[in-house]
Amino acid sequence: MNRWLIFLVIFMLIFSLTGCSTSTSGNNTDANQNITIRIATQYGLQYAPAQIMEKKQLIEKYLPGAKIEWQTFPSGGAINEALAANRIDFAFMGPPPFLISWDKGVKIKLVSSVQGGPNGIVTYRQDIKSIMDLKDDDKIAMPGIGSTQHIFLQMESDKLLNDPHAMDDKILSMSHPDAMNALLNRQVAAHFASAPYYFEELSNPAMHEVLTGREAFGGEFTHIFMVATEEFHNNNPMAYAAVYHALVDAVAIINEQPENAAKILAPIYNLSEEKTLKYITWKEVNYSSTPYGLLKMAEFMKKAGYIKKIPERISDIAFENIIAQMGKKNGEQTEIEKLQY
Amino acid sequence: MVNKRLKLNRTIFIVMLLAIWEITAHSHIFPELLFPSLESILSALIHELEKGTIVLQTYNSIEMILEGMIIGDILAIIISVWAMISRRINEYVTTLVSIMDPLPGIALLPLAILWFGTGRNSIIFIIIHSVLWPMILNTVTGFKTIPKIYLEVGSNIGLKKIKIITNIMIPSALPSLLTGLQVGWSRAWRALISAEMIFGATGKESGLGWYIFEKRFMLDMPGVFAGLFIIVAIGFIVETVLFEIIEESTIKKWGMTN
Repeated sequence: MNRWLIFLVIFMLIFSLTGCSTSTSGNNTDANQNITIRIATQYGLQYAPAQIMEKKQLIEKYLPGAKIEWQTFPSGGAINEALAANRIDFAFMGPPPFLISWDKGVKIKLVSSVQGGPNGIVTYRQDIKSIMDLKDDDKIAMPGIGSTQHIFLQMESDKLLNDPHAMDDKILSMSHPDAMNALLNRQVAAHFASAPYYFEELSNPAMHEVLTGREAFGGEFTHIFMVATEEFHNNNPMAYAAVYHALVDAVAIINEQPENAAKILAPIYNLSEEKTLKYITWKEVNYSSTPYGLLKMAEFMKKAGYIKKIPERISDIAFENIIAQMGKKNGEQTEIEKLQY
Repeated sequence: MVNKRLKLNRTIFIVMLLAIWEITAHSHIFPELLFPSLESILSALIHELEKGTIVLQTYNSIEMILEGMIIGDILAIIISVWAMISRRINEYVTTLVSIMDPLPGIALLPLAILWFGTGRNSIIFIIIHSVLWPMILNTVTGFKTIPKIYLEVGSNIGLKKIKIITNIMIPSALPSLLTGLQVGWSRAWRALISAEMIFGATGKESGLGWYIFEKRFMLDMPGVFAGLFIIVAIGFIVETVLFEIIEESTIKKWGMTN
């Protein structure tokens, strides 16, 4: 019986230890000087503002002495787990994982839009002109169920076949770099790609585009958002403002001084400066803090069964700076509000 | 009697683990979303079983594992027998095993995709890789520990080479072969689940790894644990029932264990 007791104690210890490790919620009185801000980002040119923020130390500009922890995550799914576990304060992610998380009751809201498209389905097969031309065993590689790309495919399938799930059998889940290799080696019929892989593939004369994200979505969309936990936002107003403004700065740098931004980004993505500049100024690329298509995305995701509820008003899913950006007109919607449908 | 007490002990142990889990879940040390209670896992499991896709996915997983294990184990026995014939081949095989065995199958995924494309065959290739090397290692060890006198008696009474292999070498090495099978079985599951979490096919071909990946993306932790529970249950049944029966009717009956 003694052995059992020891076992039990060890088990309890392990469980309780993991429970009380660092959870920095900051200290209001401490003038934000010793604060640690944990930010999750992902790899891809859509996340360029995050990398500019990090390399140019833009948050530190507003919050000298703050400690910023940047972490790169492999997918929105992994970021969601970290958010739910309160291991990160800010995250860069696509709309679907954010809405899934919000729907499940994780206390997070949108801070800002980061980037809007483009993305699209690229193939080498001359016979494929639309997704309807895909044969039974043709596969489309994409980052997985519930990714922005997957939702777009479902939207198109809903339009053409009246069933969002009709194309689900064709999906092969892979990371973008793996998918690009598979496409170049002709092992998958198509790849629903995003930057920089999308641009790399389209630069290849043997490849052509079947469907753009914008066509599938039926309008402008935000590809990447920045989100924050409500806890961090409520407890650290100065730090929240600093991170938000650093993001705005980064977006402005990319838009106003793209050469400068390309110089910073090129080594991160292992691309030449000229190529990076070409990719961040590609037709339809839009780095912007204004959200697009937010509620349309939510409505479709409810229809397709990903989420159970739709945000009733923008304040359900966004912090005050987005609410202010939307504006409010009596009796009608503002132009920015209209962009959300 | 001893056996019964062992079984009772095991049951108590499992019940204790479950109780600790349940207490931890209800204490809310961890966010409920990430550390679900047993009842929510159970209801997710029932819900998934009613929906039915998980049954098909479990079937697909087991089928892929069996396919990989059968090919891998037969290959392993052939290679091991071959390695017994000459010292030089033995040297090559041992070197190959020590190079290949520590390599995780997942690291070979790019090669698998190159050779077998993106589908079932690549996953089976990775399962074979994870089964083959431990099986060779154990089989060769088993063959090496066969008392010389057995083999000499066999050839003295005029048995052919093939008979010596099937009637003397394999039965004598059975304890090691079973260990190899057991190691291969658990490694095969790991290989399958991780391969499917890196590149998964949706639809009819998918297995439990894809199921877990999907549930994880949907932040449906009870669903994830329901999938893990199925894997644990299958593993437990195979370990305690299937391997037990094989051991009882062979090596225990023949008095090869203590």
